[in-house]
Amino acid sequence: MSAELFSLFYQFADVFAFLILSAAGLAIVFGMMGVINMAHGEFIMCGAYVTVGLVNLGVPLAIAQILAAVTAGLIGVLVEFLVVRRFYKRPLDSLLATWGLSLIVTQSMLLIVGSAVRGIGTPEGSFAIGGYTFSTYRLVLFGCAVAVLAGLYIIFMKTRFGVIARATMQNAAMAKALGARTGRIYAISFGIGTGLAGLCGALYAPTMTLIPTMGATFVVESFVTVVIGGANVLLGTAPAAVFLAMIRMALNASYGQIIGQIGMLVAVILIIRVLPEGLSSVLVRRGR
Amino acid sequence: MNSGHKLRMVLLGAMLGTVASMNLARAAEPPLKVGLLEDVSGDLAFMGMPKLHGSQLAVEEINKSGGILGRQIELIHLDPQGDNARYQEFGRRLLNRDKVDVLIGGITSASREALRPIVDRTTTPYFYTNQYEGGVCDASMISMGAVPEQQFSTLIPWMVEKFGKKVYVIAADYNFGQISAEWNRKIMKDLGGEVVGEEFIPLGVSQFAQTIQNIQKAKPDWLLTINVGAAQDSFFEQAAAANLNLPMGSSIKVMLGFEHKRFKPPALNNMHATANWFEEIDTPEATEFKKRWHAKFPDELYINDMGYNAYNALYMYKALVEKAKSIKLEDMRKVIATGDACIDAPEGKVCIDPKSQHTSHRMRLISVGPKHEVKVEKDYGTIQPYWLGEIGCDLTKKNDKDQYTPSHLPKKS
Amino acid sequence: MFKLLEGPQTLGRGKPFWSCVLVVLAGALAYPLFADSYDVGNFAYFLIWIFMALGLCLMWGYGGMLSFGQTLFFGIAGYGYGVLAINMGGGTATIAALVLSVVLAMIAAGILGYFMIWGGINGIFFGIVTLSATLVLAFFLGQTAGPEWHIGPARLNGFNGMKGMDPLTVGDFYIEGSALYYVMVALIVIVYLALRMLVNSSIGNVIVATRENPQRAEMLGYDVRKYQLLTFVIGSGLAGLSGALYTSWGQFITPSSIGLPAAAMPIVWVAFSGRSDLTATLVGSFLLLFGFQTITVYSQQAALVLMGALLLATVMLAPQGFVLGIGKLVADWWRGRRRRGDGVTQAGRLQPEES
Repeated sequence: MSAELFSLFYQFADVFAFLILSAAGLAIVFGMMGVINMAHGEFIMCGAYVTVGLVNLGVPLAIAQILAAVTAGLIGVLVEFLVVRRFYKRPLDSLLATWGLSLIVTQSMLLIVGSAVRGIGTPEGSFAIGGYTFSTYRLVLFGCAVAVLAGLYIIFMKTRFGVIARATMQNAAMAKALGARTGRIYAISFGIGTGLAGLCGALYAPTMTLIPTMGATFVVESFVTVVIGGANVLLGTAPAAVFLAMIRMALNASYGQIIGQIGMLVAVILIIRVLPEGLSSVLVRRGR
Repeated sequence: MNSGHKLRMVLLGAMLGTVASMNLARAAEPPLKVGLLEDVSGDLAFMGMPKLHGSQLAVEEINKSGGILGRQIELIHLDPQGDNARYQEFGRRLLNRDKVDVLIGGITSASREALRPIVDRTTTPYFYTNQYEGGVCDASMISMGAVPEQQFSTLIPWMVEKFGKKVYVIAADYNFGQISAEWNRKIMKDLGGEVVGEEFIPLGVSQFAQTIQNIQKAKPDWLLTINVGAAQDSFFEQAAAANLNLPMGSSIKVMLGFEHKRFKPPALNNMHATANWFEEIDTPEATEFKKRWHAKFPDELYINDMGYNAYNALYMYKALVEKAKSIKLEDMRKVIATGDACIDAPEGKVCIDPKSQHTSHRMRLISVGPKHEVKVEKDYGTIQPYWLGEIGCDLTKKNDKDQYTPSHLPKKS
Repeated sequence: MFKLLEGPQTLGRGKPFWSCVLVVLAGALAYPLFADSYDVGNFAYFLIWIFMALGLCLMWGYGGMLSFGQTLFFGIAGYGYGVLAINMGGGTATIAALVLSVVLAMIAAGILGYFMIWGGINGIFFGIVTLSATLVLAFFLGQTAGPEWHIGPARLNGFNGMKGMDPLTVGDFYIEGSALYYVMVALIVIVYLALRMLVNSSIGNVIVATRENPQRAEMLGYDVRKYQLLTFVIGSGLAGLSGALYTSWGQFITPSSIGLPAAAMPIVWVAFSGRSDLTATLVGSFLLLFGFQTITVYSQQAALVLMGALLLATVMLAPQGFVLGIGKLVADWWRGRRRRGDGVTQAGRLQPEES
């Protein structure tokens, strides 16, 4: 009995971690700046490749992962400065620009690195409960997802930067008039967003096959989570991830994975029709 | 100028003239054009590159030994980047504009099916060089790869005998995966085995925690892993991390995508596979072939089954043209009908079956160990592609131009 | 009615423009006489995709609705053509199959459009919903490999694709090669002129007004939703026309023509060409299709990198579209040459406030 309960929790934790880690970065960028970053998958890929590269050079895994996330963040700041900055009032153009960037990066990686890079193994071992065995690392991923949410809460709710950032999110012109350096806020926020994407790639790299297009396996689900969640990361993305994880598990268990995938997309369509601002519009209002 | 110098000039001129006229005489025979459609960019690049290399090696060797019927071969390669529309565009280009004498290529079944309507409207032969789910009955196509009756009828009985009668299937959710699962069900039924679970995974899915749990709940004796694509390949790493520890069998791992070289051990431990070619085969012919390949392509990570078949395709084409003494498809088909269309390939003898225009193969079963070392477990000898003939495809009598599966059989006429 | 061929919504007017059009048309009609049959067939192939581009231009450039769903309706009509052609037995019935499949796509567009537009979905969410619907169809069709997935004798056949349908046929005569080319040119001319008349008419004015400021248009008394739905149905129907023609051309269609990255292609063509003008889209899309095929033939792996760079450059340097930008430069130069500096001639052309 307890084995069944634990395995239910484990499955839920697994999907939840996947959704949170892949969507958090996208949610920050979308929530803060209204920019749809189509290159999100490429920042995830960047984190994965940097991690594997560093580990193959002898760097310990955890340090490699942190460095990879930081690298993705710094590249994000650069991209923001060079490209994204011009498109804050033009969401569709930012979509196209980042999509062009994503094409360039993916194909260039394929050309430079090729499509067959040797992977690294999953760390930690496994443990058994009842008749099932589980990979310990998956629980580590869940722990990281929770840590990310906690970290974002602290940054955005408890620090000075967070207050100014939230002010900029609500009304950029007013914040600027009050003296906030909005340009800097945007750059740092974009960097945090892409850094989280890099972290996602870094954390999942030991469990997956590395290929320059690997970002694609995260992108659809993270978009779905962000759209359903709305602009607020804590009161939007997290509940959306819970909601979607439960839908996914239910559909997968009863009808198989393809219905699970189609079900998620249908859920997106329905939610947008019914709640265009996503779950955060409901929860944020209640929270006040 | 002295007379000695004049004499040298005359001799030089005579030599140059002779050489020029020799070249002119050879240039009078136009080269045979081989159209090649292989993906060397995009997701399938790492599988497509060896195919290009195999064709290039064969062309070089054949040209050096005098070409085909005295004509040199010219390889015209276009890269459709895994895009079906590009396969159609470039297929038309090679057939109608470059007017190639033979068309070779395609990795996925979708790309082959996109090409067939176009090829069928011409009289150009088309060589498909990949193992696949079988069933194409088309007079314009010659299949150089292995088919389910060669791969599954060897693998599945071996796995059942060695590990047990309960199998759990993990298959990619599209034609290849579903048809292979059909074959598995058929063979398991004949063996008295039990398929305790089947999971069809959509392409692009990379997280398998639920699948691993389902497997542990079903308690199979072994796994049939016919998952496709880099994302789905993550299954092996995740299963190893969860200490799943079950024997695995597959018709598409190791020989196509050389996973044992790309994944960190022991992800692929206890994998078994059957194919007509693994780079680890060490017969004298195979070793010779591998030496020549690595001499020309020293950075090749692995000579995969597709690349090997691509190499053989050109030699088979050569054999057909020389026996038929013609480059016309109808003359080549007459040779095929006699059953005499054979080559001595590095795996052993390979012949084209007259009824289906698929090739017989020397099948071998390998196992992968904890350090990803590969061992040849069994040599099955030559196995014919008998299934299409059995269900009623007979290209010596009629051209169906269709693809059949165990649940889509020819109508009894 | 023919006065509507020119108007504030379209670039190009007067004798110089229409003489250019006639010259190009004459060239196109004469092309098969001196060109290789492969090249003629290839050009006909490019023209197949132009309808989808023009449809998106109408919806996005004129109507302000970014639809990611062009390949959705491409797929519906493409598979529809296949199913109908096989079930109706081929032959001359293929013409009926073509028409019916486009009608089918337009009905589907009507349903999805009603759901979205009457639900108040607009802006970026319009794109997300259409993309989701497109992916749903792509995923769904991808797993129809089994024999149970069939409509009459037509098997959907999952990823391996549906095949076995006849190309467009009249009696015993397959419309291919030069015949297909002329049919395509004729269709393009008809659609292009019809769209010009549509956008320059009073309906077109309302559509553009809706794009500019939907509330203002409503307050002026127009039921904005009806005009948006009309635009969406016509634009998606054109995508369906592309789909049916593609299936007829190759006798083959797969779900990969519907999902990503195919779904993003029309957006690239139209963004690059200049979405706010029909002529720019027509010319730009054709050039892009031709250019990319040529690049892929000769430098293969670089082609996709170049496409990404092109998209980035377009958005950063020439957001209204390269072809449109160049077209405007030419037009300005032409006017400057004639020294008519009164500025009145180009008045009245509305530009989008925001993309």
